[in-house]
Amino acid sequence: MPLRPAGLPAALVGLTLTAALTGCAGTDSAASPSTASTPSSAAGTAPASAAPATSGQRIEVTVAGGQVSGDTGRVPVPVGQQVTLAVTSDVADEVHVHGYDLTAELVPGEPAELAFTATIPGVFEVELHDAGTVLLSLQVG
Amino acid sequence: MEALAHGVGSRTDLPIPLGLALYGAGAAILLSFAVLLLFWRTPRLGGADSGRPLPQALQRAVDSGAVPTTLQAVALAGAVLVTGVAVAGPAEPSRNLAPWVLYVTFWVGLVPASLLLGPVWRAANPLRLLHRGLRRLVPSAPGAGRLPAVGLWPAAAFLVVFLWLELVHPGRAEPATVAVFLIGYAAVQLALALRFGEQWFAHGDGFEVYSTLIARLSPWGRRADGRLVLRNPLATATAAPAVPGLAAVVVVLLGSTAFDGLSRTVFWQTGPGSANDILSGTLGLTVMIALVAALYVLGTRLSGRLASQEAGVQPRRYAATVIPIALGYTVAHYFSLLMLDGQTTWILASNPFGVAGVDLFGTYDNRVDLAAVSSDVIALVQVGAVVAGHVVGVTLAHERALLCARRARASDQLPLVIVMVLFTVGGLGLLFGF
Repeated sequence: MPLRPAGLPAALVGLTLTAALTGCAGTDSAASPSTASTPSSAAGTAPASAAPATSGQRIEVTVAGGQVSGDTGRVPVPVGQQVTLAVTSDVADEVHVHGYDLTAELVPGEPAELAFTATIPGVFEVELHDAGTVLLSLQVG
Repeated sequence: MEALAHGVGSRTDLPIPLGLALYGAGAAILLSFAVLLLFWRTPRLGGADSGRPLPQALQRAVDSGAVPTTLQAVALAGAVLVTGVAVAGPAEPSRNLAPWVLYVTFWVGLVPASLLLGPVWRAANPLRLLHRGLRRLVPSAPGAGRLPAVGLWPAAAFLVVFLWLELVHPGRAEPATVAVFLIGYAAVQLALALRFGEQWFAHGDGFEVYSTLIARLSPWGRRADGRLVLRNPLATATAAPAVPGLAAVVVVLLGSTAFDGLSRTVFWQTGPGSANDILSGTLGLTVMIALVAALYVLGTRLSGRLASQEAGVQPRRYAATVIPIALGYTVAHYFSLLMLDGQTTWILASNPFGVAGVDLFGTYDNRVDLAAVSSDVIALVQVGAVVAGHVVGVTLAHERALLCARRARASDQLPLVIVMVLFTVGGLGLLFGF
């Protein structure tokens, strides 16, 4: 398991979201690198839907018997978009969003959600940590 | 587990925009024909005796032996530390220094270092220092006379092994894999150097040959009389002798970078490479290297036939002209990795063994800033590097043809130029993604 700061203070997250909304994704990172540490990554298993996902983009994948279905492949996301990633697995694992370095515990049968703002452009894999299965690639840009 | 291309990394680049890809391809085609038809009709670049000599003091320092020995000792200390971290450091690849140093800082960083400073790894190769120590125990090198005949073929083979590890092996980022590779590589290289003499490293150490190859495009050169000179990099590139196996090294580099690009496309990930296993990766890498090799041999041989030159020597004769194309590709594929994920090395170096409370440089809690270089800059660097590499390559090939036959018709070079255009358009196509 990577060591990582267990979630940024809520104030900092708020600050980051404001910065992202003003549309300067390329410059705000100096103040708060890897802006996407949402409360849900700290909360672990709790499928905390922290952000009110109103206008956001919802990405859903299901893992059953080693097969991945749903929004697989390369999923395009505009920079600055609110993203809610929902993963349901039939085995316990951990889902990892590369680059944004977000993780969530997967409990069999229970959907886990990760909510974040897509502020870093690039292509990022979303994979199961233990199985090593790539669920999808987020193409932010 | 890291499923990403090029060894380690947390992101890959966005596909370049279609407009940029088309402009790049158009510019490459236009410029290559302009070079071919208009630019010059006689050899213009200086040969092995051109260049402005550097101060004697600098020459004495470089040739003294003390400077290389110091560099080699420093590099050896670094290599021992990295191997130690690979063996005994944190087990998680993202927190272990070794894979990041090997695949990003060293392998990718060797490119800008050699381009700016010359053949740095020949000067700093720690295996040369170890070899000189071991040589006292084994005084004779029975195979030394065979090296000129084998040329750079051993280096091409070692590069294939390393690139397979980097691009195909599923456990490439695991510290244990890196440890086995580093120790095994050093042992095999040292054993071969004992048999073939210290010159082995210039023929068989893939990293040293890679660095020396790129240094042919650096502003530093050595005149035929051994004097260090500052000169037009293009002159250094053409002055270099045609060594056996040089074409193989260049083709391996070009083919493997093409495979790295291919493995990031949706086409590959959902089609031939969807299994994401050793078999599909090995086949993909082999096919890409074979494809590049076939095109290259075809282009050079056809050009040779049109110009009534002996076809067999053509691939070797023109190998140096493909170095800039391979370099342009390499920059395009790895620039962002070095700038963005390369930050990880400096973060982890602050606490190499992951001991609680250790933070040598105060950077251990830093996060990689993946927005340090904007995606627009990355796209421009990618297209710029591919097109610039193409232009330099075509120019060098033209100069080479004129050197072989003063009255060569420009049209004789068409097959080689078309192959170069194919490489460039193919490279841009892979960056564009599909």
